[in-house]
Amino acid sequence: MEHKRTAIILAVIWSIVAILPLFFGSTNFIMHILIICLIWSVVASCWDLIMGFAGIFSFGQVAFFVIGAYSSAIISARAGIPPIFAVFMAGIISGLLGVLVGIPCLKLKGAYIALVTFAVHMILEPMLKGDIGRFIGTGGSRGILTIEPMNIFGYAFTNSHPIPYFYLILFVAVICSAIIWLVIRSHWGAAFLALKDAEDFATCLGVSAFKYKLMVFALTSFLTGMIGGFYAHYVGMLSTRMLGIDLFVTLMVILVIGGVGKFPGAVIGAFITVAINEMLSPLGSYRPIILGAMVVILVLLLPDGIIGLIQKLVAKREPMVSPLRNNQP
Amino acid sequence: MLKLRNVTKKFGELTAVNNLSFEVSQGQVFGIAGPNGAGKSTLYNLISGLYSFEGSILFNNKDISGLQPHKIAKLGISRTFQIPQTFPSLTIEKSIGVGNYFGSRDGFEPSYVDRIIDFVNLTDKRKKLTGQLNLLDKKMLMIGAALATKPAILMLDEPMAGSNAKEIKSLMELIKRINQDMGITIIIIEHFMKVLTELTERLLIIETGTEICCGDPVEVTSDPRVIECYLGDSHD
Repeated sequence: MEHKRTAIILAVIWSIVAILPLFFGSTNFIMHILIICLIWSVVASCWDLIMGFAGIFSFGQVAFFVIGAYSSAIISARAGIPPIFAVFMAGIISGLLGVLVGIPCLKLKGAYIALVTFAVHMILEPMLKGDIGRFIGTGGSRGILTIEPMNIFGYAFTNSHPIPYFYLILFVAVICSAIIWLVIRSHWGAAFLALKDAEDFATCLGVSAFKYKLMVFALTSFLTGMIGGFYAHYVGMLSTRMLGIDLFVTLMVILVIGGVGKFPGAVIGAFITVAINEMLSPLGSYRPIILGAMVVILVLLLPDGIIGLIQKLVAKREPMVSPLRNNQP
Repeated sequence: MLKLRNVTKKFGELTAVNNLSFEVSQGQVFGIAGPNGAGKSTLYNLISGLYSFEGSILFNNKDISGLQPHKIAKLGISRTFQIPQTFPSLTIEKSIGVGNYFGSRDGFEPSYVDRIIDFVNLTDKRKKLTGQLNLLDKKMLMIGAALATKPAILMLDEPMAGSNAKEIKSLMELIKRINQDMGITIIIIEHFMKVLTELTERLLIIETGTEICCGDPVEVTSDPRVIECYLGDSHD
């Protein structure tokens, strides 16, 4: 029932999003915002899968996104591989790096995993800017200034005509959310939750912590890296600025607003957060302060985010079960 | 069926299990008792693969020392925990399904999951999240999830703790049915001597990780060394 409800919510969200170009298609700026919303919704959903469902406090999601973006840009430029294949290769590279980062995390818990994964985030910027980065084609401090636009069967998706790219990214976001939904409702999802709730008991029931934790690292970093590739071919240029605190905080806000472990909350959170961010833009340097205050208030009022609120409202409508029934042996 | 040979576990300077050797036969109900801190739960953690140790443990003549917990579960050794461990994010049905899907050598069998849910008397609550359950139901759920792995040996860690007389009686009946109807070998850690003398065929008493005595439960419970380790010196 819960999974059916999630599927219905997802179907409603994507249906609404799909018709938005009818209203905003003539305004490139809004279409650009919507594309960014779709991209962040994938990254945040992946982060939610690893952190909210699997209970692994990975802070490496932005790093995997950037790795995917740079990998796809470099692969398409240096090896001459069409961008549509380059993004998949970028996903595989991110996925493999995700597994490499995941291995030392298997022996760690909670905040220590956050430290290790955030260390990956921290070392990425000097690596991309330094000699190693320049050698593989990151452009060092300057970044990559020209990235081939996405091209499928001879049709070029340029950011000057955002509607086709919007539908391409929407298609990718729908596929990614369907994959996440399938994983959550499958026995894999049950294994992730079981390991999060009671790891010792789960392993004593036959769940391999090694296999399923690495699996979640691989899957989330693959999808994040792949959408990073789509981002690179959309914006056409990359720099290490993405590794600054802005994107990291934005994604966190998306998770908080949507509800941690409340998929598809991250999808809803992405649209709300980006919309609020844009609406607050006239406030200039006061914007982050207002946004921060909003997060504090939301955490206090809605600890489970928008989806948590919807669940509470639905639960109130459903008939109450007598507490006495629960005490019968 | 299960043989422990010179099993020792040290945590730094502390020896939690000291050179312990015993054997459990197929179909037996084997009891383990001892004062708090005797190393009983640590012993379960060694058998189920949660901790590394010195010595060896053989299960059906296969050395399982050093195997990971999920592999030991798949071989047929399942367990419950002293403090009930459940999966609050999952329903009863899903929790028991986890045991069957990941732990059973026969693969996932929804009909078997249904049977187990019925066996542990949780049918009317099967769609409930496990975080909403009371203590007895949580224990039943742990036993159910462990049974869903189709174990050859089920290790129960203080299943009667915190239960009233009526609950103890129903839990004892359940354990008898698991042993007799399902043919599963039981190892049970318990503080209630009445439960141990009624249920078990052999009883091992340990103190500070060392064996005090092992044998017939009635004889063991009247052994002066056992009385001393529980109550101090006898004064009769």
